[in-house]
Amino acid sequence: MAYKPTVGAQMSSPNVIPMADIMLVLLIIFMVVTPMLTKGVSVDMVTANTPRDMQDADKDDAVIVAVTRDGKIYLGNTNIQKEDITGQVKDRLANRLDKTVYVRSDARAKYGDVVAVVDEIRSAGVDQLGLLTERRQNRETPPPPPNGQPST
Amino acid sequence: MAEMNVVPLIDILLVLLIIFMVITPLTPKGLETLLPRPNSDTVDRKTDALTVVVQVAQGGKIKINNENTDLDRLGPRMEQIFKDRAEKVAFVKGDNDVVFMDVARAIDVLRGSGIDKIGLISGLH
Repeated sequence: MAYKPTVGAQMSSPNVIPMADIMLVLLIIFMVVTPMLTKGVSVDMVTANTPRDMQDADKDDAVIVAVTRDGKIYLGNTNIQKEDITGQVKDRLANRLDKTVYVRSDARAKYGDVVAVVDEIRSAGVDQLGLLTERRQNRETPPPPPNGQPST
Repeated sequence: MAEMNVVPLIDILLVLLIIFMVITPLTPKGLETLLPRPNSDTVDRKTDALTVVVQVAQGGKIKINNENTDLDRLGPRMEQIFKDRAEKVAFVKGDNDVVFMDVARAIDVLRGSGIDKIGLISGLH
C-alpha cells in the first residue's frame, strides 16, 4: 500500500475521495444496466454450441417473441394471446426491410407451444426466424430435465 | 507525497473491468432458421426426393426421414448425407410434447455439421 503509516492527529479525517469515485462508477453501471434488465421477460434460454451473433436482436425495434415455460407468450414486454401474434407482428414489421423475428423460448417450454407461435409468425409473412440462445458455458453437464420428463 | 497514490486508480479500473465482463456476454446469440411457406414446402417435398426432414421425438429420439438415430450420431450422419450436396437444406420437425431444448439441440447440431438453411415445419402439414 502506498499509504504511509502515520500517527495520531495527522489521520484525523478519512479520505473519502476513492469511495466517492467508486460510488460514481457504480451509479453509472446501474444507469446503464437498468434498462437492459427490464428488456423482455426473463426466460432460461437454450445453450448452443454454434450460435451466430444476432446484433439486430439488441436493437430497440427488434421484434422478439418470448415463450415462457408455461406457454405464455410475450411480444416484447407485453403478454399477448396466440391469436393476436400475427396481427401485432405484421404491424411492427410493416415498414421494415429486414423481416426477421426473434423467438426467445424457455428451454423447458413445450415444442408444441413454440411451434404454434412459429406458425402464427409465419402467417405474418415472416420467413427468417432467429431462435435466440445463450452462449455455452464451459460445462458439459446439461441443465436438469424438467419435472416428470426424464430426458434419457 | 513523493510517490503517486495509485490505489483509487486501481479501484476504478477493477470496477470498469467488472462492467465489461458483465456487458460482453449480453450480445445476443441465436440460431438462424427459415420458415418455409406451407405451399412451397409441399411442392418441395413432391419434387425433391432428397429432402431431409429431421424429426425430434420424445426421449431424445431423432429420426432422419425414416432412419432412427440420436443426438450424438446426428452430426456425423448429416455430414455424411450432405457431403456431396451443394444445397445444404434440412427441415426440422418436432413432436408437440417434446421440450424445446431437445429441438434446439438438434438444430444446433445441424448448424454444426454445416447445414446453412434450416426450415422449421410444424406438425400441421
